[in-house]
Amino acid sequence: MKTSILLVVLMTAAVGAQGRATQERATTARAEAPIDLTGQWVAIISEDWRWRMITPPKGDIVSIPLSLQGQQAAEAWDPAKDEAAGEQCKAYGAPGLMRGPIRMRISWQDDNTLKLETDYGMQTRLLRFGAPAAPGPRSWQGDTSAQWIVRGGGGRGAPRFGSLKTITSNLRPGYLRKNGVPYSERALFTEHWDVHSLPNGDKYLVNTNVVEDPVYLQAPFQTAIHYKLERDTSKWDPTPCDARF
Amino acid sequence: MRREILKNTRHRGTEASASAKATADRPGRRSQRRRRLSQCVVFSVFWMMSVPAFAQVELGGTYAIRMHEDYIERGPGSYLGDFTGMPLSDEGRAKALSYSSSLPSTIERQCLAQSPWVGLYRPLALRFWSEVDESGRVVAWVMAGDYLRDHVRIWMDGRPHPSANAWHSPSGFTTGHWEGDTLVARTTHVKTAWIRRGVGIPGSDQSTFTVFITRRENLLTIMSVQEDPIYLTEPHVVSRVWEFDPRASQGPLRDTCNVGVEIPSLEDTGEVPHYLPGQNPEEDFMVRTYNIPKEAAMGFAHTLYPEYRKTLRSVYKPPESCGRYCCGWIERQGLPGAAPGLTCNDGNLPPALRKALTTADR
Repeated sequence: MKTSILLVVLMTAAVGAQGRATQERATTARAEAPIDLTGQWVAIISEDWRWRMITPPKGDIVSIPLSLQGQQAAEAWDPAKDEAAGEQCKAYGAPGLMRGPIRMRISWQDDNTLKLETDYGMQTRLLRFGAPAAPGPRSWQGDTSAQWIVRGGGGRGAPRFGSLKTITSNLRPGYLRKNGVPYSERALFTEHWDVHSLPNGDKYLVNTNVVEDPVYLQAPFQTAIHYKLERDTSKWDPTPCDARF
Repeated sequence: MRREILKNTRHRGTEASASAKATADRPGRRSQRRRRLSQCVVFSVFWMMSVPAFAQVELGGTYAIRMHEDYIERGPGSYLGDFTGMPLSDEGRAKALSYSSSLPSTIERQCLAQSPWVGLYRPLALRFWSEVDESGRVVAWVMAGDYLRDHVRIWMDGRPHPSANAWHSPSGFTTGHWEGDTLVARTTHVKTAWIRRGVGIPGSDQSTFTVFITRRENLLTIMSVQEDPIYLTEPHVVSRVWEFDPRASQGPLRDTCNVGVEIPSLEDTGEVPHYLPGQNPEEDFMVRTYNIPKEAAMGFAHTLYPEYRKTLRSVYKPPESCGRYCCGWIERQGLPGAAPGLTCNDGNLPPALRKALTTADR
C-alpha cells in the first residue's frame, strides 16, 4: 500500500514538474521555437522557372485550378491599369510573393512575432503567435497567425522537432502569378514551414502551402516551395514592385 | 538493478508461505527491500519522463497527385531543349542535347525514364505501406506509384548501405530515419536514368538522393535533393505535394519498361538515335518560342537564382500570347463540366472540341 502511495506521489510530482516546465517554456514563442527559421533564405527556382522567374504571357494559367471567373479575370489582366491605380504590388501579396524569385530575411521582431522581409518587392509580413490582433485594413501581406507544431522534447535530452503553421487572411486582392492570375480578398493562405538539413550542413526551408479562394479557384491551389539558407547575405537586393517584369 | 529485482522477487516467492513473524524478525532486511523497491520506482518514473514523446508518423495510404507545379513537365512532357531550372554540367548538357525522341524506342534504353524517385516528375498518385517484423516494428516503408519500375523500399532497421561496388538496381538502395515528423531517406546504387523524362536530362549512376517525406494533416510533401558528380554542378532540388485520398488512382503498376513508340526500322540495326553536337533542331526552341536567353534554357546553375533577373530584365520580352498548354490543369479536370465556357488558348485541344466548349456553355 505504502509503495503504491509512493508511486502515485512520485508520478504526480513528475507530471507536475513536466507541466510546470512546459508552462515555463511556453512563455514566449521565441523560447518555444522547435526550429530556427531566422536568417536569409533564397528561393531556388528549379520548378516552374518560366512562370516564376519571368512574367509569362497573358492567358498562361497552366497549373493553377482557376474557376471560370478566375480565368476571365486572368484574361483581363492589364498591367498599365494596375500601374495607374497604384496597384503594381498585386503580384507581391503573400500568396504570390512566396512563389516569387525572392530572398527573404526572417527575424524576431519581438518574442511573439516573426518578421519576414523580402528584397523582391520590398515587402514585410509579420507572423504573430498567440492571440490575433484586431484586423486592420486589408493589405498585400494580410494578417498572419502563427503556431508552432512541436514534437518530442518530452524529457531530459530528448530531441525536439517541429514545424510552423501559419494562416493568413485579410488580404487585398492580388495575383498568384505575375501575369494577372488572381486571388480575391476572400482568399485564405495556409502554410506549413519545415527546415531540413543535409549532412554537409546545408539547410533548406520548405513551405508547403494551400491557397483557398471561393471566388477565383475551383479547388485549393497546393504547392511546396523550397529555399536555401544563405550564410553570405551580400546578394540581398531590394527592388520595388514592378507590374510588368 | 533488474537482477536485484528478480532476486528480490524470487526471494519473496520462495518465502511467500513463511509467517509474518519470520519477516518481522528481520526488520533490517525488510527495510532494505523497501528501499530497493523505492529506488526502482523512482528510476522507472524518471525513465518514463526521459523517453522522447514522439513516434513515427503513419504514412500508409494513397495520395492523389496535385499537379499545381511543373504541369507541362509532369503531364504532357517538357519541350525538347527546355532545361530551365536545371544545374547541368557541360557533360549533362551535351548528353541532354544529344537526345532524340526515338532513343527510348531502343530496347536497351526503354527504362531510362524510370529512376527511383521518378514520381516527383510524373503525373502519378503514390501509395505507401509499411513492412513490419514479428514484433510489429517497422522494418521498411515502401513507396509505389503507377509509373515506377520498382517500389522504393526505405529500410528503417539501421542496415548499412552496400559496398560502392555492389549491384545498382532500378530502385537503388534506400535507408531512412525519422527526424520529428519527417522521414529522411537516402538513396544510393541507382542506375543511369533521366531526371526529366522526354528531354533527355540525364542523371548518372553516381547520383545520390536525400529525400524528406513529411505529412502535414492531409498533405504529403516530398523534397528531393539529387547530387550527381557527373551531370550536375550543384544539387538539384524539387519539392512536390500530394493529398491523402483513399480513392486516389493507383493505376496499373508498370513494373516493366516499355517503348513509347515502336520503330521497326530500328530493330536489330544497332543504331542509337541521337543528335550530334550542334545538330539538335530544338536547341533554340525556348529562345524562339518564349524569348528567354539560351543560357537559361540550357540549364546553367546561376540561372536558378533571383539575381539572374538582372540579366533577364534587359533581354526578355513576354511572347504576345500563350501558344500551347496554357490551360493545363483545367483542361484535364473532366471536361467540359469542371469549368464550363473556357476560352483559354490551349493548342493541345482539338479544334472541334474547343469550338464546342467555347460556344455551348456561354
